[in-house]
Amino acid sequence: MKERAITKFHQEAYLAAMQAQTRRHFLRSFSAGVGAIFLGSLGASDRAFAGSREAALDSTSRIDITRDPRRPLAALPPQFAAKAKRVIYLHMAGAPSQLELFEYKPQLMKFDGQDCPASLLAGKRFAFITGVPKLMGPQYPFHQVGDSGHWISDRLPYLEKHLDDLCFIKSMRTDQFNHAPAQLLVQTGNARLGYPSLGSWVVYGLGTENQNLPGFIVLISGGNMPDGGKQLWGTGFLPSVYQGVQCRSHGEPVLYLDNPPDVSSAERRNMLDALDQLNQQNYAAFGNPETVTRIAQYEMSFRMQMDATDAMDIHKEPENVHAKYGSKNGESSFANNCLVARRLAERGVRFIQLYHWGWDSHGSSAGDSLNEAFPKRCREVDQPIAALLSELKDRGMLEDTLVVWGGEFGRTSMRENRGGQMTKFTGRDHNPGAFTIWMAGGGVKPGFTLGETDELGYEIAKDPVEVRDLHATILYLLGFDHHRLNFPFQGLDQKLTGVKPSRVVGEVLA
Amino acid sequence: MKDRAKYSAELLFAVYTGAALVLLAVLLLVAPPDGNNHAQFLELLGRLHPLSVHLPIALLIFLPLLEIAGRNPKFSHVQAAARFTLGVTLVGAIAAAGLGWCLARAGGYAGTTITQHMWGAVAVGALSWVCWVLRRNPARERLYLGALALAVLAASFTGYRGGQLTHGENHLTELLPSPLRNWLGVPGKEAAGSSSAVDAGTWYGAQLRPIFEQHCVTCHGPSKQKAGLRLDSFSGLMRGGKHGAVLKPGDAKSSELFRRITLPPGDEDAMPPENRRPLSPAEIAVIEQWIAGGASATQPNPGGAPTPVAGAPVEVTILEISPAAVSAERAQLASAVAQLQQKLPNVVGYESRGSAQLTVQAAWMRARFGDEQVAALAPLAERIVLADFSSTAITGHSASAMAGMKNLRTLRLMHTSTTDATVQALTSLQKLESLSLFDTQVTPAALAALARMPSLKRVYVGSTKISPASAVPQELGHKLIF
Repeated sequence: MKERAITKFHQEAYLAAMQAQTRRHFLRSFSAGVGAIFLGSLGASDRAFAGSREAALDSTSRIDITRDPRRPLAALPPQFAAKAKRVIYLHMAGAPSQLELFEYKPQLMKFDGQDCPASLLAGKRFAFITGVPKLMGPQYPFHQVGDSGHWISDRLPYLEKHLDDLCFIKSMRTDQFNHAPAQLLVQTGNARLGYPSLGSWVVYGLGTENQNLPGFIVLISGGNMPDGGKQLWGTGFLPSVYQGVQCRSHGEPVLYLDNPPDVSSAERRNMLDALDQLNQQNYAAFGNPETVTRIAQYEMSFRMQMDATDAMDIHKEPENVHAKYGSKNGESSFANNCLVARRLAERGVRFIQLYHWGWDSHGSSAGDSLNEAFPKRCREVDQPIAALLSELKDRGMLEDTLVVWGGEFGRTSMRENRGGQMTKFTGRDHNPGAFTIWMAGGGVKPGFTLGETDELGYEIAKDPVEVRDLHATILYLLGFDHHRLNFPFQGLDQKLTGVKPSRVVGEVLA
Repeated sequence: MKDRAKYSAELLFAVYTGAALVLLAVLLLVAPPDGNNHAQFLELLGRLHPLSVHLPIALLIFLPLLEIAGRNPKFSHVQAAARFTLGVTLVGAIAAAGLGWCLARAGGYAGTTITQHMWGAVAVGALSWVCWVLRRNPARERLYLGALALAVLAASFTGYRGGQLTHGENHLTELLPSPLRNWLGVPGKEAAGSSSAVDAGTWYGAQLRPIFEQHCVTCHGPSKQKAGLRLDSFSGLMRGGKHGAVLKPGDAKSSELFRRITLPPGDEDAMPPENRRPLSPAEIAVIEQWIAGGASATQPNPGGAPTPVAGAPVEVTILEISPAAVSAERAQLASAVAQLQQKLPNVVGYESRGSAQLTVQAAWMRARFGDEQVAALAPLAERIVLADFSSTAITGHSASAMAGMKNLRTLRLMHTSTTDATVQALTSLQKLESLSLFDTQVTPAALAALARMPSLKRVYVGSTKISPASAVPQELGHKLIF
């Protein structure tokens, strides 16, 4: 009886499906089918063409990134022999003040408290400064350090021991003066949403050796997400398998990675195999690369159950290492993330992106002031960055690991006067006109500084470097001509560096 | 009757082509190329010259083949095609020469090369015509063959001169290997163009002239003088072109030449024109400084090689990869690499897309990678330039396998059970520059072996028994990183 009822139910469902299949459905799928046939043939000729094009590789042709669709993260060689094999990018979200860290401007001290000359304000847009602000000298004392004789403030006592390893660009420039678009520009090459991040491009081009961990891992600290949000490690138009995977440095590294209670690993495997078959069928029918992404991600999360937990588990590090970083088990901190970054780098992760939030020193309250919050932020990052550099150096890994430190823009030489008021706390407004970044290892000149700002540290006086130039340089260090690492989308060969002229900053190469 | 008609048609052909040849010769005498640009219409036609010129040349060279092969009874039928081919050659040669005159007259050509090229073309036409006339009469076969040989020679000469016009004076010889070139007695690439005496000790001679030679003289030199400008000599540079002076000594910014070379690439006035390699920033800087310094012919060279001014952007050049060369280089090992990649995916890879050398990244495999896997690398050992065995399970058994990786530049053994014995086995690695022994079992006893490695630059010995207090051989002094 029950069986008959089920059979009947099946028949009814079938009939309902037949009725739902109207003439319109037929015409729609028919036309799509014809389109698919056409596109399929187009693809075939494209592939045939790709072979012959490789034979005539000219200076504008795209690097051929072809992988077995089942292994979208497989490692590929760079275009040319590269100095850097992996990147650890330390993004100080909120834009740290270069004038309190690396930019020594004695002249600015002289003019401290004086009205800002009108010539510096003409035609400028500020986030909060109104009327005529006052110039503000450096808030912390500077001194010279190391063989390079570089000036540094007293806020980074650990990092200053590594100053001779760092390569500064003090003439970085952006065209965005708000956090989210400026962060997007620094991380994706475009101030608008929908473009692949630097890490995605790198993993797209190079893949990653360790298939049991994502090739692009993001670690966040400072109590907040960066303003640009998850788009900062998005893939835009690249297949989404190349997007960054946000992990946690305590607890489960990736939420819901473990099997639910009472589900064994074998059961999980069975389920994944069945799902895999369905997805493969779907891929065979439609050829959507996103299906491959889905398969690859299920597979990776299965493999990650073992490896990710091990990689992120800093309990395994001895006490002296924790002391070096200032890291603590079971905390979520920049120090822990730096230690994890080193562990990930050792395990062949291609691109490790750290964000530390809280550098937006406007001075509107204690929490965003140069005199109260800023020194805390400095303490949070100073010792861990120094420990990371020293551990990479000790192991020989700094030879082929590129470490990048920077924010999304600079800060003004003027004291912020939000609403025309002088606040209790000191702070500086956003300055897209000049900011400082540094790089270390991976083929950059150690103990070198490129670019200068004017006497007040306000505008670039020498050797301006655009964000896209920095991107071109990073890709070059990883073995790519930024013109040729591109992806066709919306009728354009899309590049990280966009369409405006950009160059590899040869001056900083070792 | 039919013969008669055929005869008169052939006569007419001979008369018409002969008249065309005479007309061509007259044109050359009356209106030779004078280095100026003339009517654009002429140049439009002239551009067809390179298009049309190759067919008659090919046919003319093909003709003797037809004639010779035709003597063999097996190929007697091809001889029937010879006359037709000769006719097409004649017409083609005259047409190509006519278009060539248009190009020379309108395109700013002048000089001996172009003159010889043009008269050579007339000779080719005339000899083809003679061949045509002689071939009618079998009794004059010997004369005909002689004329044909001359025509082929004339075409070779003319073609060579034409090649010189488009590809440069010594386009056939400049890339010859130098022993061969010396034997032939032709000047090499370095010596090319320095025929007119220029003092290499002067600023102009040492730095400026090479730039002009490289970028400009193809169009502003002995064979072509676009806009009446010659940049192959100092006097030509100073004389300027038909629009006047191109240099204003002491003021680069208002010098036409400097303006042209610094225009954005897409600009109509930009020089060198589109599709030609633009001057590098360093070269532009040299020209700018020289003009600013007074643009003198005699001022001594201020400083060695043409170096970019301090603070000028450093240009990065990315070498082109030739896929054919790469696959040729990889041919021997490609299948072995593919096999190994199958066995050890994401561990073995080429150093780059243009390289036939390998890198081995095994650190991520941790304990799953051990001596057995190192042994599997043996067939390709000498191709490996970087090997990262950090955190793997390799032991002293792999020492000899690693010692066979003769071209290693970077070797990482950190977090492994590597001992002094392994390090001692590695002294055969003559090219090793960087060795990471961080967190291994090595002791100061390994230092002597490390000191024997000739290329070693950095040895990472942190977290080992080696400490700054150990007795370090002098050669290792600053190479140890603790």
